[in-house]
Amino acid sequence: MSEPVRKLLLGLLLLISAGTAVGWLYGQPLSGLLIAVVLALAWQLRRLIAFDNALRSGDPGDFRHGDGIWQQLYSRFSFESRKSERHKKRYRELLREIRKSTNAMPDAAVVIDSNNEIVMCNRAAKELVGLRPKKDKGERIENILRHRDFSKLLADADFDAVVDVPSPLRPGHWLNCRVVPYGADQRLLLIRDITERLRLNKMRRDFVANASHELRSPLTVISGYLEGLTDDDIPPDLKAPFRQMQSQARRMNQVISELLELSRVESAGRAGFDDSVDVAGLMHAAARTCRERAGAPSIRVDADPSIRLLGNATQIESVITNFVSNAMRYTPETGEIVLSWSAKKSTARLAVSDTGEGIPPKDIPRLTERFFRVDRGRARSDGGVGLGLAIVKHILSRHDTELRIDSKLGEGSTFSCTFGAERFERLGHAQSNEVA
Amino acid sequence: MEPSSLTGHISRRYNKDLQELRSSVSAMGGLVEAQLSRAIAAIVSGDSELGLKVANDDYKVNEMEVSIDEECGRILVTRAPAAGDLRLIVAILKTITDLERIGDEAEKIGFLASQLAAMDRPTDSYVELRNLGDQVSQMLKAAIDALARLDVDAAFDVAKQDQRVDEEYDAITRQCITRMMEDPSSIKRFMNVTWAARSLERIGDHAKNICEYVIYMVQGRDVRHTQMDQELSQEE
Repeated sequence: MSEPVRKLLLGLLLLISAGTAVGWLYGQPLSGLLIAVVLALAWQLRRLIAFDNALRSGDPGDFRHGDGIWQQLYSRFSFESRKSERHKKRYRELLREIRKSTNAMPDAAVVIDSNNEIVMCNRAAKELVGLRPKKDKGERIENILRHRDFSKLLADADFDAVVDVPSPLRPGHWLNCRVVPYGADQRLLLIRDITERLRLNKMRRDFVANASHELRSPLTVISGYLEGLTDDDIPPDLKAPFRQMQSQARRMNQVISELLELSRVESAGRAGFDDSVDVAGLMHAAARTCRERAGAPSIRVDADPSIRLLGNATQIESVITNFVSNAMRYTPETGEIVLSWSAKKSTARLAVSDTGEGIPPKDIPRLTERFFRVDRGRARSDGGVGLGLAIVKHILSRHDTELRIDSKLGEGSTFSCTFGAERFERLGHAQSNEVA
Repeated sequence: MEPSSLTGHISRRYNKDLQELRSSVSAMGGLVEAQLSRAIAAIVSGDSELGLKVANDDYKVNEMEVSIDEECGRILVTRAPAAGDLRLIVAILKTITDLERIGDEAEKIGFLASQLAAMDRPTDSYVELRNLGDQVSQMLKAAIDALARLDVDAAFDVAKQDQRVDEEYDAITRQCITRMMEDPSSIKRFMNVTWAARSLERIGDHAKNICEYVIYMVQGRDVRHTQMDQELSQEE
């Protein structure tokens, strides 16, 4: 029992017993008791009313000092209320800071609930999408940002997917949207303006294409003269440099045509479904060309001619020749190259594997970079330009798939890709006979 | 009527149905907007392939109209909506008809674009059609926004813009007639331009209609024909 409480009880007890004693002296202890109780009650009631007034007016009056229970109560109450006031202020400031920082973000952030209704959004959402932070609360976001791909993104709830949609406010601008899970039953929608990025990408592509074109015309003149000269026209001491010039000019031509092809593939859109590509035929043709070369390893084609790939025939041919020429370059005469094309129920797989020297694991992710070489030393000796896999990567992405590289040092490598069900078809039996 | 009043039903299923219905109307609006902007792009860039694609994609708009129509019927029968909900359903039924017509006009523009692409192109690449087209697509977008947000003020603003679209259309028609008189061999081409402009002007009218339905839905008053003009003059 704390000190003030003990004091209070003691005071009451004293008052009541004094009242009873006085009453007893007059022969009426009960009346004395009653009067004492009423007095005690009245006194406490007065204190209570004074306490209430003090709290209301904020002026402590005679509750400021002292160690009675009312003074104690008052000081505890004012302490707690000051504390909660301080906390509230801190939270308010924190909230203001958070709001300030979300508003300062250049990307739009919108919190939506499970029904896609807007819970909260920042200032950038207003500028990018035209949301009104207060008024649009409770609206469904897909009613305002109306685009098929965007609705699909929300419906799929795929947190890795991103979609690009045209800006509803500024024509010609593009927005990149993604959704991340956020809190309980909510999602955070992030939208950024990628117009500038797209423009830069396009500028880079255009630059490569233009530069290649500009380089090509003078080179045509140079190699034209070089081809025109025969060995007899050359003084004997210039024969070696002359051959060098010829071979380097050829090489430069090759680099430029591959650069042009790369920029063509990059700027082409998603491949259509118009061509029914005979992958098996292309594989046999590529294998035939390679077998004619001296020192070629044995080449086996294991392809199902009844499966046709739906895509761009020239591009697919380029993929196969790139795979095969890479394999040829790194496989010794005693090795084997296997070209395979097969389909399961809903996927078809195109693969070229070799028993060559293999690729170090750390280099695999970098293989599709332009001009990347695993072995810098042999870079130019074997005739490759270093753009082949970059071209392949782009072609495959235009066909909704990606390049997969499996390799073990010393045992060989497999380059493969897997196509979805909408990218291939099976020919009937009669047709496949005709192809064979 | 606030948007939140739509969710004030005891049956949560009913709330959800109405919300879904509004969402699908917005989705249909989004599709129509995309069709229109692609059709205009086809004319301006002389892309006949894109134009034909727009014309071929019109079936998607029609499919959406049918499915929303069915959904409205289902809600009318099963929920027997009253007051604001009934107005919502009625307004949606009318809106999708207008949206479908806009889709048809976009189809027509796409088809005209594929025809124009095969003819001589003017040096300004139909800048007047692009201006009118931009104006109309902006109007359509604002109309569907007003519908999505049940925003009466925005609806009034959009309805006012129709006047400007009509003026622009008149200007294009006059211009075409002059050109046709100057050079009779270009009559075929300018007829197509006139038709495209006509389609755009019609789209503006449909967008205005949608705004009138929004006002009807929210405030319950019919501002079509005479009243709208008075409202407009009062506002100004």
